[in-house]
Amino acid sequence: MSPAPQPGEVFPDLDLPDHTGRERRLSELAGGDPVVLLFSRGWWCPKEQRHLREVVRLQDEFEVAYTRIVVVSTDEPEVQAAFRAGLGARFVFLSDAQRRWLPRLELLEETDTLHHPYRPTAFTLMPDLTVSRRWDGYWYWGRPTMEDLRQEMRAISRAVRPAFER
Amino acid sequence: MKVPDGAALLTFDGQALHAGEQPGRTFMVDARCLDGEPVAGAYAQVCSLTDAAAALPYDHPEVQQARRDALAWWIPLLGDALVCLTTLALDEARFGGAITVTTEPAYLDEDPFARLFAPTLVRSDLFCRVPPPAGPVIERYAGVAWPGGTLPDS
Repeated sequence: MSPAPQPGEVFPDLDLPDHTGRERRLSELAGGDPVVLLFSRGWWCPKEQRHLREVVRLQDEFEVAYTRIVVVSTDEPEVQAAFRAGLGARFVFLSDAQRRWLPRLELLEETDTLHHPYRPTAFTLMPDLTVSRRWDGYWYWGRPTMEDLRQEMRAISRAVRPAFER
Repeated sequence: MKVPDGAALLTFDGQALHAGEQPGRTFMVDARCLDGEPVAGAYAQVCSLTDAAAALPYDHPEVQQARRDALAWWIPLLGDALVCLTTLALDEARFGGAITVTTEPAYLDEDPFARLFAPTLVRSDLFCRVPPPAGPVIERYAGVAWPGGTLPDS
């Protein structure tokens, strides 16, 4: 079992450079909203490209729904910036190119001895970074569908927005 | 002018910016831009007019698209030169423009908010460094000028 948090545990407040090289913290990126946190192999992986294209389609709903998306990979910031632009993403990519957090989270994909990337893993987080759900996405079908993420954002919003049901 | 939590007042007189309500046109801005250690001699591109009629609904598609463009490429283009960015709110619904503050006057011709109101470049010692918005949210939080504020129940 990976020490990456399980549902009910608080996710570490990651401190990493974003796709522009600016240092960010996960709590600042959450900004009091529910978060989808995606650990991704990197720009070169066809599975990541496919899944993130789906997530980018979902951002049109997130942009009006007070919910955030954060992607973490071991790509360098300038690579992430190009990948992000190519995808048309309007959310933050965090770069763990120095592998500062990867060993602490024990999310290394051990079957890729070339890139030493993150093992694809998805989390939904409450605004205080408490994990709501986790998906292990080594196998593509283990990842959350966009409908899974919609349902999670609805459930978390219902839990944290007192006026959700008037 | 009733100012919500997370907002501050800023006045543009056509040539310069002043904190608070002063002679000129006063807007509500993201308070974080004025709360901290100011960056001396920064370049503030003011995409706004002093004419009180120069306003658009925040929900206007072109205003929404300018915010999307800010998240997608305007903020990344500015990189470390970005000091802060705030839209200019007039009330709960109306957008009076935007200000992008940088340490270098480069790329300002690309400002997506200049599509909405003609830009004026001024030097200013008022603005502080603020982490850029995380995205993809383009909605306002509790009436505060985007990208500032949080929801009161969160």
